[in-house]
Amino acid sequence: MDRSYLAKRLLHALIIAWGVMTASFFLMRIGPHSPADKYLATLGAGHNVSQVTAAIESRYGVDRPLYEQYFNYINSLLHGDWGWSFSTSMPVSDLIKIHWAYSFQLIFLSSILAIILGISLGIFTAARKNTKADHIATFFSFAGISIPNFWLGMMLILIFSVKLGWFKTYYDTGLPMFSLSNLYALILPVITLATGMVAGYGRFVRSSMLENMNKDFVRTARAKGLPESVVLRKHVFRNALLPVVTIIMLDMSGIIFGGAYITEFIFGIPGLGWMSLKAVFSDDYSVVMAVTLIGAFVTLFFNLVADIAYTYLDPRIRYE
Amino acid sequence: MSMCGKAAILSAGIGLSGCLERDSGNKTKDLTAGKLGGTFIEGASGADAETLNWILAADATSLGYISLAFDGLIAYDNKFNIVNRWLKNDIKTSDDGLSYTVTIRDDLEWSDGKPVTSDDFVYTMKNLMFADWMAYTYAGDWTEEVDGKSVFVEPVVENETTFTIKRKTVDPEFLYTVTDLMIYPKHIVSKYEGDVKAFTQAPELNNLSYTGNLGPYRYKEWIRNDKIVMERNPDYYLGKENGEPYFENYEVKIFGTSTARHAAMEAGDITNTGIDPEQVMKFKAIPSIKVFTVPTTGYRVLQYNMRDNGWEGLKDRKVRQAISMSISKEKIIQDILLGFGEPAFSFIPNVSPWYSEEGLSKIGVGALYDKTRAKELMKEAGYGIEKNGAIQVIDKKGDKIKLKFFTITGSKVHESMAYLIQKELGDIGIEVDIKFVPWETMLRKYYMNKVPGSDQPARNNNGPRAVSEEPWDLMYAGQSTDVLQPSGTEIFFVTDGGLNTSGYSNPEVDALFKKVHSKEALDVTARKKIYAQLSKIISEDQPLDFLAYPTANIAFKSNIRGIDPGISMNYNYQEWYFG
Repeated sequence: MDRSYLAKRLLHALIIAWGVMTASFFLMRIGPHSPADKYLATLGAGHNVSQVTAAIESRYGVDRPLYEQYFNYINSLLHGDWGWSFSTSMPVSDLIKIHWAYSFQLIFLSSILAIILGISLGIFTAARKNTKADHIATFFSFAGISIPNFWLGMMLILIFSVKLGWFKTYYDTGLPMFSLSNLYALILPVITLATGMVAGYGRFVRSSMLENMNKDFVRTARAKGLPESVVLRKHVFRNALLPVVTIIMLDMSGIIFGGAYITEFIFGIPGLGWMSLKAVFSDDYSVVMAVTLIGAFVTLFFNLVADIAYTYLDPRIRYE
Repeated sequence: MSMCGKAAILSAGIGLSGCLERDSGNKTKDLTAGKLGGTFIEGASGADAETLNWILAADATSLGYISLAFDGLIAYDNKFNIVNRWLKNDIKTSDDGLSYTVTIRDDLEWSDGKPVTSDDFVYTMKNLMFADWMAYTYAGDWTEEVDGKSVFVEPVVENETTFTIKRKTVDPEFLYTVTDLMIYPKHIVSKYEGDVKAFTQAPELNNLSYTGNLGPYRYKEWIRNDKIVMERNPDYYLGKENGEPYFENYEVKIFGTSTARHAAMEAGDITNTGIDPEQVMKFKAIPSIKVFTVPTTGYRVLQYNMRDNGWEGLKDRKVRQAISMSISKEKIIQDILLGFGEPAFSFIPNVSPWYSEEGLSKIGVGALYDKTRAKELMKEAGYGIEKNGAIQVIDKKGDKIKLKFFTITGSKVHESMAYLIQKELGDIGIEVDIKFVPWETMLRKYYMNKVPGSDQPARNNNGPRAVSEEPWDLMYAGQSTDVLQPSGTEIFFVTDGGLNTSGYSNPEVDALFKKVHSKEALDVTARKKIYAQLSKIISEDQPLDFLAYPTANIAFKSNIRGIDPGISMNYNYQEWYFG
């Protein structure tokens, strides 16, 4: 992959991120909501509602003309200022700095688990197509895909935390991030988030493997007398991996902002997913903008990673 | 405070022995022995607080967190007796009702050791709460109408610990506004004066690092959407004699769902939380948990839209009475609240000292839960005809009456209530079309209103001609009343009330609410009579159907000691400890 291609992709990423940011900025501002709403709901008699609304909108800088707010925002962003979150009373950059780690550890561990188990399950079932083991794995895969996260999470809490007492019923943010006790505390949330992913990857790898198993190059490898394990590993699996990488990368970008929300919500993990949702409902523009922007960059980043991965997995692919 | 006392309290604060004090018999006693220690974890659902900078707060959660570090002038016990906190003496109201004298304790300190003075209070009012640059949302509570103009009351420093608030007009209930007064340290906040951005983002104000000895706990950590942790304040002014508070940490943990919160309580991971009615029997059977059922200040109502985009019949009092008469409050309490509630008939909760049953129309229970009489009332109002000896309820065109019912999504109680009301009204021949909408939609499309064709900004009450964006007829909601100052609820009932979304108007009610704020009402008996009259008129008028006063179920670990269960059970929380 040459450098000019990479530079071009980065430039594209910047343009797309700017487009996403601009669209989000105006969509949020033209909505009927105002940060003053929550104050108005509790106002007593004798208050001048219009005056209060104007004062609060002025406090949060949303009383200025839209174009002015937009250029102020861009200007602040270029100076590294992500704004002030008025639904949490802290700078947006600090908010993200503190909370991204909670989401990241959950998503990272779930993804690793899902990739390892999902791919293994796919290979296992593809190699044993239409056997009893395949049928059982297929049943559990469909169950894993169908079970809603929130139900699974609650069931795990009720069984393993309430009945058996093996885990705390909620995630304890007081635990040191890099400790075994933290890892232990993440077991149930990771299982909750990873179950659907394991099942999905398993099914996807299986069909991709089966598709490649009937191809000419596999038949040739077998004709050459290669052991079945080598045929599966070196010829079938490697070729089956290409579409799997695409799916995994798309999944990763999807769950980083939002996809892990339900798991965070159930286990009381103060991650970015839950934080973003609260910001949306509180009309906390600065947080929503920051999360949208980071989300756009993450999606573009994983797309780029997928493209780069292709060139390693299939040497015939070249970008110029 | 004696040096001995201070040193002993400090030693308790760093986890050494309890507070030791020499008594007159020359023996020592350990004031915190067996009481000190542990982390109290309160489980909460819903949104986290938005700020610890109290003047900017619009949500109860924020004020709840702040109160852990900030006692306030007074507290109320379960019988609504005033318990002085920062106050040295009771607030003195002058005989003419125009002046309120407040004297604070002389041992209150900010974190830097500077004394809390009356100047801090007066500064907070004059330079922050009443200042244009701050735009304090509730500044209106501190204004009065003088010669047709809205002016602020006048706070004056009398001496180091005494200040006076002077009014030009009488308002007997202003006393309760005064008791809610909060404070900032003048020497810290004066540097932010005039700069709302700097004030909003000031670190000292956002992490309560100035609260000194003013509350039982001090700020330790706040992880947004997760928990706030407050640590024991060893300098607490009320703890000098007895070492309070006793918990090392007081934590509030936020849960995404009530199921997760209940699971945490059941597993013993948290110390206390509210319990939904259907879970009460289960929790009562757990030996390690005790559940208290206590009254609340809230009530459930069915609102009637009397504006021009509601069904025309709802403007008629007889029709509203008929509808209310068809809905059984007993059924609501037994079938939906599972026995945890009482029938409601007034905007004043039955636990309030101002509550009176004199002349109250108890519609919806006993003889006034009567569907036959309801049909007769509908007929009298012109919405029924006699057919084969029975009354058929129909509209004036002869068609079946169809009403649009709205309530918010996501609540089992709201859902059950909607179906029960639908069934009850179905029995008298009124069809109810139920719609569940999110809160934001409810606020924007159904509550807020404006005069059609005008360029008014939408508000909760834009006058009698205003209508909401979408039409509605019935709405189920929750409301609450300040039990000591019920006149605050006038916003729902007076013609120009800020939250009179239904368009109710009765000049007699307007006049009586005005009377509550008059000199005549300085006399408690006279005020009680005015409230009784108001309750009577509103219960007859039925601008809304008061359905029930629900009770709350609060679960604690059974080893918590010192709890005094009741409506204000937190008033002595600094005295609680693990037994």
